[in-house]
Order: sequence, then structure tokens, then C-alpha cells
Amino acid sequence: MRILLQPELVEITEVRQETRDTFTMRFRFPSPSLAAAFGFQPGQFNMLTVFGVGEAPISLSSCPRQQEYFEHTIRTVGNVTRAISRLQPGGRLGLRGPYGRGWPMEEIKGHDILVVAGGIGLAPLRGAIGCILAEPENYGRLEILYGARSPEDQIFTYEYAGWRAHPRVALRLSVDRAPGIHPGAGEDAAARTGAAAAGTDPPDAGRRFDRVGPVTTLFPDVELEPANTAVLMCGPEVMMRFAVAQLLERGFRAEQIYVSLERRMECGLGKCGHCLIGPVYVCKDGPVFSYAEIRDLPEEVF
Amino acid sequence: MAFPMAAPAALAAARLARAALADLWQALAASHRMAAPVACDGVFRFQETADLAAVRLDYNTTILPAKKFFYPPVETIFRFHRHRGALAPDEEACEARRPLALFGLHGCDVRALELLDQVYTGEFSDPAYARARAETFIVALSCLEPGPSCFCTSFRSGPFPESGFDLLLTDLGGHYLVEAGSARGAGLLQQLGAEPADSEDQLLKTHRLREAVARFRRHIPTEGLPRLLNQAFQHPVWQALKDQCLSCGTCTVVCPTCYCFNVWDKVNLDLETGERKMAWDSCQLLDFGQVALGQNFRRDRAARIKQRIYHKLNYFREQYGKFGCVGCGRCVEACVKHIDPVTIVAALKGV
Repeated sequence: MRILLQPELVEITEVRQETRDTFTMRFRFPSPSLAAAFGFQPGQFNMLTVFGVGEAPISLSSCPRQQEYFEHTIRTVGNVTRAISRLQPGGRLGLRGPYGRGWPMEEIKGHDILVVAGGIGLAPLRGAIGCILAEPENYGRLEILYGARSPEDQIFTYEYAGWRAHPRVALRLSVDRAPGIHPGAGEDAAARTGAAAAGTDPPDAGRRFDRVGPVTTLFPDVELEPANTAVLMCGPEVMMRFAVAQLLERGFRAEQIYVSLERRMECGLGKCGHCLIGPVYVCKDGPVFSYAEIRDLPEEVF
Repeated sequence: MAFPMAAPAALAAARLARAALADLWQALAASHRMAAPVACDGVFRFQETADLAAVRLDYNTTILPAKKFFYPPVETIFRFHRHRGALAPDEEACEARRPLALFGLHGCDVRALELLDQVYTGEFSDPAYARARAETFIVALSCLEPGPSCFCTSFRSGPFPESGFDLLLTDLGGHYLVEAGSARGAGLLQQLGAEPADSEDQLLKTHRLREAVARFRRHIPTEGLPRLLNQAFQHPVWQALKDQCLSCGTCTVVCPTCYCFNVWDKVNLDLETGERKMAWDSCQLLDFGQVALGQNFRRDRAARIKQRIYHKLNYFREQYGKFGCVGCGRCVEACVKHIDPVTIVAALKGV
């Protein structure tokens, strides 16, 4: 296994703080030949190494059409991500990848796209959104539903204006809680949220929200019809469980709903066994699956 | 996978006098490191030995299976410098070592290596594993006396192996029948100049096989097994097992087809250099499915027990086309609570 687990060196060229605990890092390969050879699909991931601390699977968060660099958006939650968060531009990481099966960008051509993301789950979807917006003629309308814990926890806020500016794109934002607004306070609160958000006018104009509550509270606003819509979804499993259930109720079929799963991974190659769900390796058979592919696994996913 | 051992069975067969076994050993030892079952503190283990006299072909199952020769319990993936990254691999002496010959492997262990090949040389083939497997000469041994926990006949991995070896030894009493399972096995037979076997030897082998099979008392009925398991995911037997299992992971350590591993960094005292290591891991351990923030995808012990049994008897077949259990009985022998796939399946069947 040794040769398959050897990382290459990548250099950090830029760091953007997204939220209190989440940042986006831009990378390039010092080696021109590696840089030329590296390509990826949105939804794929890399294994990132801090030598002496360890390795972790992290989604690629940039658009693969951008070939000068690639980005990872990382939330500081464990040893490896904390060690990465301490690195500065010019610093180096170990990297192997890209691994896994990303979003089905070819299969969903010609369809309307509904993106449903929760928290850091927007990271692997940013590249897919970028690909769709780069060739809008190949896709129908795009609705993006994004739920975050609070306005301060929203990531990629600098992208929102650009997404919204697109005539065929709708971006709808929810937050679990917002200052001064009681979560789950009913329709009145929901009606007030827009005004409250506009009134707050945070320094970062991107940080707004349409509804207070889980991302599913945005579902009544969705205009896309199930018939010709593909759903791309990533977020906490508890969020995806409820979101998938509600979409099925609305008439979406399991085959139309694509979800990206998280599991512990040590290799990314279908060898270390940690990511197995039944006979499925999340690392190489996924991390993106249609809900139809995972719905009936004996070890229930959601 | 085109291993030499994949050649058609029985390219040649010869009779080998008991005393001539030493000739076979010597012929192999001339160009191989020899590993074989030897006795150690009242149990058996596979280990390298130069001495045929120490080899116990009357052994029952060893403590650890032969996977340790191709996939060591702990291995250094690379050395690193904290700032310079992975260092160029040392020219390790082991790369230049003579190839290995495994002498006296039972059918269960031969099949187990074939199954590991599926994992390690399929998609994302591991070149080091593939090379080690391809250059290893396997002398298999027909197993005449099943151990108390054995059930290899359930999966047809034994007691007499049918593939996966270069040579197969069958003790026919006065002499050995030696059958070649690969071109290089046939070549070695020729080199030994042994007397060709005749139909009587084959008849005697068949007779021995029948006798051996009749000694098995334990079976997992494989017909309809996938269907049975698919319907038994919520069976009360799993809750009962949950109360017995200690989650120690011994069953997976001794299992010849368990392949999961963990990876971690070991930093040296200079705090600048270190090694990335990999080691056998176990789905039975609590942190196996744990990710950041403490979320654990298999926190329930019953789920972890099911993972092992279902992987061996169901998932592996769906992934690689064959049952992942070879019936060696090691997990049963090693378990302090005697958790036993044979009795689990019997309970699921309501027997």
C-alpha cells in the first residue's frame, strides 16, 4: 500500500476566512508536471496531510474549470484541520487525490437543478454551481437552498451576489437562529425575517437570510417542478434525512436526488475499510450517490 | 489477476517418498526464504525457518494467518520531515530479499490469499502486494484432520485446496502425492525427477478427501445465505450478541480475509521528523467509524458485530464475487466469548 499512500507537496497561495471556524485555502503544485496532470470533478475530494499530525479527506470546493489553482474549504473540527488552519500562504501541505465519484454533471445536463446545502456542505457544491453557471445553456434553471446555523456561519457569502445576478438562478438562505428572532416562532417570524435581515444590513452584504429554521423551511418557496429537476445535496446527515423525505413527498424520485456522504477514510482507495456501508465504499463508489443507490443498503444511511 | 498460480490445476503430479520431502524443501530453499508452520508454546504459527525438521505438517490452524507476510500488522508508509514532506524512500534491504516460499498452507489460508488479492490488486492495485504475491511460491497441504472450530467445507476452500497454489501436497500414508497448480510448480516437480503419480494415487487422494470431509461437524449452509441475511438485519440474535461481545477486535486480527487498516503519524523526539505508519484496524472497535466532532457511524456494538458477519457472508460476495469467509475457525478459537459464525447463522435460520 505504501506507494499508493504517498502524498505530493502542494503550496498554499491564499487563505480566506469564511467564518469564525471555517476558511478557504487556495493551492498550487510547486511541480509544473503535477500541476498539469491534476484535474478533478466537482464533488471529488483530496486527502490532505500535515506531516506529523495526520491526514484527512477534504472536499474540493473550487470550480474545476479554474485550472490555475484549486481550493479547499475547511472547518476546524479535528487535529488535522486545526493544524491546517495554522498554516499561512507559502506553507506546504501533503496531498493525494483527487478521489471518488463527484456530482453527475453529465447526467444532469438538460435538467433544472435544485441545490440543497447545509453548513460546510456547500463546499463540495460550489464547484458544481460554478460548472453550471459557466455553461448555462446546458442546464435549466438553478435554485440554491442553503441553510447555516446563523448568518455568521454562512460560507462563500462573496459568491451570493454573482449567483443571484444570474437570470436563471434563485438563491434562498435559511439560518437555524438569528439575533432577535425566535427560531420556529411560526409564520409571523418567518415573514419578519426578510425585513430583519435587510434592516440589520451586516457589513458583509452577503450575510442575509430568507427564513429562520432548517433548510427544509425553504422548500415551500421552491419553484422548480419535480418532473425535470435533479437535486444535488450535501449537509449533515440529519438534515439530509429530513430534506430527502420531504423531497420524496413532493414528488421527486430517489433517482433524481444526489447526496454526498461523509465517512471516516484512511486511504480513499477502497482498501482501508472505514467508509464501508454494506458493500459500498463511500470513498471510491461515492462520496456522491443517488438516493436510490443507498436507500436500500442493509445498514441504513437515512 | 494473472498470477502464475492461476495456471490450470494438475499440470503434473508425482509421488514423493516421505524422505524426499527434504529434496523439495532444499530445492525451494535454494532460491527462497522458507516460511512454514512451526510449534511455539503449544500452538502453531507461520514463521520463517531454514530447518525442515522444525516444520510441523501435522499442525492445525495457526494463530495468525499468512496475510502477515504480504500485509504486515504494522508498516511504515514513508518517513517525513515536518516541513520538507515525505522523504525519498530508503533503499530498503527488504526490496532485494529473496522471494518467499510458503510451505504447508491449508486450503483455507490459500483461499484467503486469493480473496485478499481481490481487494489489493483490483482497482487501485497495490504494486508491492502484487509483486510479493506473484513471486511467492506456495506449497499447499491437503488438510486431513479438521480442527474443532473448522468449517471450510462450507465455502469449498478446503479441506483440499483446488486452486491458488504452485504445488499441493497430499499425505497418502506411505508417500506424498504432489500436484502442480502452476507452470513453475510443474517445473519444480520436473527438476526433482520424482516418480509420476498414477491413477491409484488419485483414487487414494479422493478417498482421503472423502474421509476428511466426513470428519467435519460444523457447517454454514451457503445456499440461500445472502437471502437469509438480507432478511435478518433486525433479528434478535444481534441484540443477544451485543451483550456478549467485548468489542476487543481479536476476531478481525486473526481473520485471514480482514484487510482494514488505520493510518497515523509518529513524530520522533526531535519533533521535526517522523514516520507515517499503517496498521491492521478492526471494525469491532468503537472509534472505527468515528469522524470529527465525535460523530460515529457505528456506535452501537450490535451494528459492529453485524458489520463483521455481514461483510464476510454477504458484502464481500457482492463486492468481489465470493464469500469473504474461508471457514478457518480462527475467530471462534480466539474469541474469549466464543462468538461463532456457525452458531450465529444457525440461530438466524432458527435451527
